Amino acid sequence: MASIQIEKLEKSYGHVSVLHGIDLDIRDGEFIVLVGPSGCGKSTLLRMIAGLEDVSRGEIRIDGSRVNERHPKDRDIAMVFQSYALYPHMNVAGNMSYSLRLRKTAKEKIGAAVAGAASKLGLEPLLERRPKALSGGQRQRVAMGRAIVREPKAFLFDEPLSNLDARLREQMRAEIKKMHADLKATSIYVTHDQIEAMTLADRIVAMHGGVVQQVGSPLELYDRPANLFVAGFIGSPGMNFLDIIYREGAAFLKDGSRIALKSPAPVTEGSNLTLGIRPEHMTIATDGTGIAAKVELAEPTGFGIILHLSVHGVPVKVFTLDRQALNMGGEIAVSFPAQHIHLFDGEGRRMD
Amino acid sequence: MTMTADTLGRRHDRRPWLTRLAHASEPYLYSAPSLILIIVVMLVPLVIGISYAFRDIQLLNPFSGGFIGLEHFRTLSEDPAFYGALRNTLWWTGASVVLQFFFGLVLALLLDKPFWGRGLVQALVFLPWAVPSFLAGLNWAWLFNPVIGPIPHWLFGLGLMDQPGNILSDPHYAMWGPIIANVWWGIPFFAITLLAALQAIPRDLYEAASIDGANWFQRFLSITLPFLAPTIAITVLLRTVWISNFADLIVVMTGGGPADRTQIVASYIFTQAFKALDFGYASAIALVLLVLLLAYSMLIILLRQTLLNKD
Repeated sequence: MASIQIEKLEKSYGHVSVLHGIDLDIRDGEFIVLVGPSGCGKSTLLRMIAGLEDVSRGEIRIDGSRVNERHPKDRDIAMVFQSYALYPHMNVAGNMSYSLRLRKTAKEKIGAAVAGAASKLGLEPLLERRPKALSGGQRQRVAMGRAIVREPKAFLFDEPLSNLDARLREQMRAEIKKMHADLKATSIYVTHDQIEAMTLADRIVAMHGGVVQQVGSPLELYDRPANLFVAGFIGSPGMNFLDIIYREGAAFLKDGSRIALKSPAPVTEGSNLTLGIRPEHMTIATDGTGIAAKVELAEPTGFGIILHLSVHGVPVKVFTLDRQALNMGGEIAVSFPAQHIHLFDGEGRRMD
Repeated sequence: MTMTADTLGRRHDRRPWLTRLAHASEPYLYSAPSLILIIVVMLVPLVIGISYAFRDIQLLNPFSGGFIGLEHFRTLSEDPAFYGALRNTLWWTGASVVLQFFFGLVLALLLDKPFWGRGLVQALVFLPWAVPSFLAGLNWAWLFNPVIGPIPHWLFGLGLMDQPGNILSDPHYAMWGPIIANVWWGIPFFAITLLAALQAIPRDLYEAASIDGANWFQRFLSITLPFLAPTIAITVLLRTVWISNFADLIVVMTGGGPADRTQIVASYIFTQAFKALDFGYASAIALVLLVLLLAYSMLIILLRQTLLNKD
């Protein structure tokens, strides 16, 4: 196991720059999730750590020693691919033992390592099968087994669950978390799925446009998103954003409706700001207060109901557990609890 | 209910007789054009050719044409030229296929790596295949000819030859002339088919293997080769049959000489048929070659099946 430091890391293909100065300090045994929309550079960053992509500028250190120039095979890391990348001509045991056989490990040791990993992943009855004869979930397990038999310094996961169906993904997610608790191995996990990021990570690294937007624990990112991107990316359904004008310690919508704030913001009177509030934090006002909104659509999810509203032409979503919401139509009133309001300045940065 | 209705309907089929015939023959009519074509251009000549093998057919002898049974095969079994040709065929086919395959594989591996101008190079590599074999043979014959070609002078300069002579007229090395021409001409076939197979190998397998600790050669052995194996089996089989049948280069470059040193079975057939004008004997040799190649193909197919079943 090892710590990984990434310093001022940059990547460019010709004139196209995809990573702009990434700094990241990953502690020994930590589970880090790189999350972001496709094209944000998270997979490139992972592949650079693995040694599959060259480093344009900056430095990667594993266990304190610089690995920029080291071949993937000399970095002592294991990787689980989205496509699993199992060797189709080897059976499950062959796939799992390949790296050990290349290292000329003793036969008994290989057998023990494969058996150990297979029992951990429930693969014992499948050891003689070829990957072709396995289901998606089983292939996924073999790919993980191939990674753990080596006891590498770090595990890299490149969207390992994207090819599984929703139910299986949930199950494997829990298994990966269990495995990490078990092995305590430094892990870097790339995903575009914010639920995976929230549930698995010790710390999430939210990326966008080749820049790290925020690093923090899942709840930190949920409770105090550093900017509009993180606020919008984390959470489902996504956060509502409303353009407001700041006056007299409160927020005013374009039509003049007033939304009270917890504390005055450190900006001049009349500044244009963005107000963010999560759908699950908004409430439907039944006591005659609140701001008028028109119901456009109601989506029952079983657990709750997502109401799509229009607040003076601005689309706003409300998530409520109140089943009555399904029967609401026409005009209703919603309120914005002050303790749940996030304010973002003109550049999209968090205000407090 | 429906069954009774069906049988009743069939028993009392009231459609006119011609309509019923048209319906019954419909599938045969659809396949007739291609079947007729295959019969006329493939089966009929094959049968006629086989029948020649049992008849005495010499173009210069107007009284020939009679049935002689196995007479040709008896002559053949005592024909030292035929056995020489058989040995030469093995040598010619083996050396050509092995070298074509080896260089084709190397070329395919090189072309699989991205580099500037790869598209153009890939097109150029295919070029020898587009040259008619007859022209290729003439060109190489000239290249080996010390009067007009540079190769003997180069070999002499390198000290590989005592004097700049023509290897096509050297009894010990003459076979190398057509083999080299054949290798040059046939590399593209292997290069292109193997390249296509190479490009179908998922890249992340190589990445997974390099993370697992495999160097270039180990990746080649454990990923590239198993993926290429089916393509290699089928292309080597095809090329072996084609090359052992392929007399063009030999006829053009050496005519089987010197002293039958480059005579292969296919060129021996050509010589018997079109130089000695003995079509009967030529057909008998051709029949033997056909049987040998069929046996070889069956062997390879059996081998392939057992290999596939093992998976």
